[in-house]
Amino acid sequence: MSRILKFNLNGNPAEVKVGEADTLLEALREGLAFTSPKCGCNHGDCGACTVIVNGDAVKSCTVIALTAEGKNVWTVDGLAKGGKLHPVQKAFHEYGAPQCGYCTPGMVMAAVAFLNRHPSLSSLTEEEVKDALSGNLCRCGGYKKYAQAVIAAARGDFGPLPEQEGSGKNV
Amino acid sequence: MREYEYHAPESFGRLFELASADGVESRFLAGGTDLTPRISAERNQIPRYKKPPLRILYLGALGLDSVTDAGEDVTIGALCTLSSLLENAVVKAKLPALHEALTEMAGVSIRNTATIGGNIMNASPAADSVPALLVLGTECTLRSASGERRVALAEFFTEPGKTVAKPGEVLVSVTVKAGRGGSSFKKLGRRKAETLSVVNAAAYVELRDGVCEAVRVAVGSAAPTVVRCADTERALVGRKIGEDSIRAASSLVEKAISPIDDIRASAWYRGRVAPTVVARAISAAAERKRG
Ligand SMILES: Cc1cc2nc3c(=O)[nH]c(=O)nc-3n(C[C@H](O)[C@H](O)[C@H](O)COP(=O)(O)OP(=O)(O)OC[C@H]3O[C@@H](n4cnc5c(N)ncnc54)[C@H](O)[C@@H]3O)c2cc1C
Ligand code: FES
Ligand code: FES
Repeated sequence: MSRILKFNLNGNPAEVKVGEADTLLEALREGLAFTSPKCGCNHGDCGACTVIVNGDAVKSCTVIALTAEGKNVWTVDGLAKGGKLHPVQKAFHEYGAPQCGYCTPGMVMAAVAFLNRHPSLSSLTEEEVKDALSGNLCRCGGYKKYAQAVIAAARGDFGPLPEQEGSGKNV
Repeated sequence: MREYEYHAPESFGRLFELASADGVESRFLAGGTDLTPRISAERNQIPRYKKPPLRILYLGALGLDSVTDAGEDVTIGALCTLSSLLENAVVKAKLPALHEALTEMAGVSIRNTATIGGNIMNASPAADSVPALLVLGTECTLRSASGERRVALAEFFTEPGKTVAKPGEVLVSVTVKAGRGGSSFKKLGRRKAETLSVVNAAAYVELRDGVCEAVRVAVGSAAPTVVRCADTERALVGRKIGEDSIRAASSLVEKAISPIDDIRASAWYRGRVAPTVVARAISAAAERKRG
């Protein structure tokens, strides 16, 4: 049987028809054609499907879609504002972190959730960044640049981190 | 394909009514980090025989997500996420072995949804919260239509994936003793993060003038369930705690375990490293008491 899931997607109300055992990843990709979260493993292992739900990074393939009823979900599609990339996106671009790019949307969301929750960005350490991204596998092996780019974004090298909706901070 | 139903009952009455229906198989859903991939895998397969509809009963609307500090013991709601417990000041101060286990579990994005109740009910021999809870002394509260009962965690697991909980019984909370001793958890995985244990161990130690007065040691991922190491414990009680006594006692874990080969490690390797992981947990627990 299918049901209608109502939630907030990237700050806008969304409705989608889902099967009762569908994952949030399927609802986004197949129901709503938001294909930025990738289905790398469908098993919770790779992190390519990472999105932000009520402010927390989660692996959307492990989430049954209907549990997201009424929640605030953000994908990488909602981060750019007025044609301007989010500082994390800019940092990844400038550092040349993505290679094939398959893991990138998940990396961006994990990094954004981490920076939004971090109490003092000026004292952030590389270990903390690595820990925050540890659930996101990169088959191209670009871990170092991803971590460096997140530190640069935290430092403010790519502009202030937005506090508004798009940051995921108020979600 | 099999049919699936989803419900998010807001009362236990409704939950047990839904769980007891005939002609369907019911499954409780907490964070879904273990269950959802299993359902997805099943949905991707061509079924060999017809299965009854699967009724997914989401437990997140029942309000089982609080931590209550009652002084001597701490009661943790089954639906508390691993992230919320990792940040919890009571858990950190009173249940150090559990706190340490949480730091070693999965990564942030899994911890944000995975629950402590799911980790226990999944009944994996590699579940990291279990050795910590076991050495601290934990009772599980199960609830069914006919009321509540308490079962000691030590008697909770029967085989991999199986517990004493009857079909339709929900784990509502665990009650963990704070104790006056020190405790610690150590894990050996294939890599540092987001990995299941090759072997894990926890210890709880009470000392007086450097002499061990009471000790509990548990090792995981080395037998069909997490096990207590009785011989190791006996070898320590009444002894001065030091490198030599810990090493000698830890070598006795062999008697408690029956490791197997799996994708993470061989039985031989598990047998070789278990004493080391156990020794690390005991020294750290003893150290914590001193410091
Ligand atoms: C990438 C990854 C890394 C992981 N790393 C670790 C790790 O390091 N250490 C570790 O121990 N585990 C790890 N896990 C396993 C898993 O995340 C944990 O076991 C988690 O705590 C399960 O909780 P959940 O809420 O997601 O359970 P669910 O998947 O919702 O449920 C698991 C099982 O328990 C039952 N259940 C859940 N709650 C209850 C309840 N209250 N009453 C009765 N039955 C219930 C369900 O029916 C199901 O059978 C990992 C998983 C993934 C995907
Ligand atoms: S697709 Fe979700 S973690 Fe790999
Ligand atoms: S850039 Fe290719 S997987 Fe990470």
